[in-house]
Amino acid sequence: MNLAVEIGGGLVSKGLYMEARDGCPTPRIAETPSGLLNAIGLQGVGVRAFVKDVLPRLARFDTVVLINVCGDTVDEYAEVTRVLDDAPGVHGLEINISCPNVKKGGMAFGGDPVMTHEVIKAVRKATRLPVIPKLSPNVGDITVFARAAEDAGADALSCINTLLGLAVDVEARRPRLAFGTGGLSGPAIRPIAVRMAWQAARAVKIPVIGIGGISSAGDALEFLIAGCRAVQIGTANFVDPGLYDRILGELAAYLKRHGLEDVNQVVGTLQYPGVT
Amino acid sequence: MAGMPANRHVLLVSREALGGPYHLLTFRHREAAREARAGQFVMIKAGASPEPPLRRPFSILTVDPEHETFTLFVKAVGQGSRALCSMREGERAQCLGPLGRTFTPPGEGTEAVMVAGGYGIAPFRLFSEELRQAGRKGRVFYGGRTASDLQLSDRFEPLGVSLVPATEDGSLGQRGRVTVPLEAYLDAGPGPVRLYACGPDAMLHAVARLGESRGLTTEVSLDPWMGCGIGTCLGCVVSVQRREEPKPKYRCACTEGPVFDAAAVVWAGEEGSAARRAAGSPR
Repeated sequence: MNLAVEIGGGLVSKGLYMEARDGCPTPRIAETPSGLLNAIGLQGVGVRAFVKDVLPRLARFDTVVLINVCGDTVDEYAEVTRVLDDAPGVHGLEINISCPNVKKGGMAFGGDPVMTHEVIKAVRKATRLPVIPKLSPNVGDITVFARAAEDAGADALSCINTLLGLAVDVEARRPRLAFGTGGLSGPAIRPIAVRMAWQAARAVKIPVIGIGGISSAGDALEFLIAGCRAVQIGTANFVDPGLYDRILGELAAYLKRHGLEDVNQVVGTLQYPGVT
Repeated sequence: MAGMPANRHVLLVSREALGGPYHLLTFRHREAAREARAGQFVMIKAGASPEPPLRRPFSILTVDPEHETFTLFVKAVGQGSRALCSMREGERAQCLGPLGRTFTPPGEGTEAVMVAGGYGIAPFRLFSEELRQAGRKGRVFYGGRTASDLQLSDRFEPLGVSLVPATEDGSLGQRGRVTVPLEAYLDAGPGPVRLYACGPDAMLHAVARLGESRGLTTEVSLDPWMGCGIGTCLGCVVSVQRREEPKPKYRCACTEGPVFDAAAVVWAGEEGSAARRAAGSPR
């Protein structure tokens, strides 16, 4: 596995379909307590334009590049995957089966374990690149979806996508977002994200990437200790674009303080009451 | 990433309460003081507190390269702006910038007619300085609900820019909307004019229509909800259709704006108008 943390960092693209998409009307974002509610709706240039115009720019950086794959149908997921399988400079595919802000696709696949299995199996057949489904928190039991993805041939799991939310403008008595509902991210969701990533990591043998409200080394360590092998940071980039230097410094200080040489030594070391 | 604006912890060197919710905040920031141009903004938040999560965009009012400072005109209306306005001198804010596209200066012999609504006056102080340095003429039409909304109106005459106030309650200047004296001025047949507007969307739309009806190039500075300021979150997009484009496209106000050609903006309730202009009807 070429997972980001193991070779010193990486980036994940925004979701890509075959064709360009306009995304949602505005307003698209609303600030909520310790969080950000968004309905961007996967605005993007389409996978072919991305491969032609954006990938070469990303290849200039010495980093792992994971591309987030979307589709309205199982066939579209497979088709986007095939385009990326042939593209230079792609190290892995994150499969977006959990976007709450599109009318079809997205959650339709991530909210039904049979569909999760079907779409991941189709993507698996279409590529030799690492396949990393991004799971939704908007389900009752994430372990069912984690196992379905693993059974279908996933190499790792991203946990979690945003939580479905609704913010209301009480003066206008309308949703604050033009789309209506949105996906909640930021520190507000972190305890939920850590819990779900922990549940998923216990349910499968493949690595889990922890996502949700990370903006410090302490936040990242919560996920790692809970069993994640890597983490992603999203919303905090919007708040502090210089956060990686700070977090890596904090992480090094933590390891030193605990007499550890490698961050992997903390992975899965959570001393959970009643679990041996 | 190349061209990535620097994130700075900037010192508040002076804070001036102007009355009511209005404040002038001056921060030390060498690059912004030297490089910022009219129309640009910073994304800024007070202190290191995680709440509220996001920075807020503010136009740069003035710069002082000698003292390495820039000044913001801030109306405390929400959590982010209130936190900024309650900072004490010597405290720090997190600042990203200067960001965004500048106003296009008028050509020689063309007058810059600026139209401001409320705190939309902010970018026009620096613009007026740039006009003076370039030897261009400028004039400001400044509207608000009432006299106290028309802050800083005495800071333009010293730059040789005359300012025409208008208030909806008649407490300062002409009674009514700012577009009334603006239209009268344009009717009086000044020389070549280029329009620039910053303020509430309804005012911008009205100025855009006025500019279009008279064949004047109009630039508007838009102020949508903004998340990151660097083109990443795609939260602040504006529907824009340029002449050569077959359909409108969402563009980030932070990186492709905040200043846009008014004729290309697809205004709410007027979808299709930019398409008609793009198709070659008179503008």
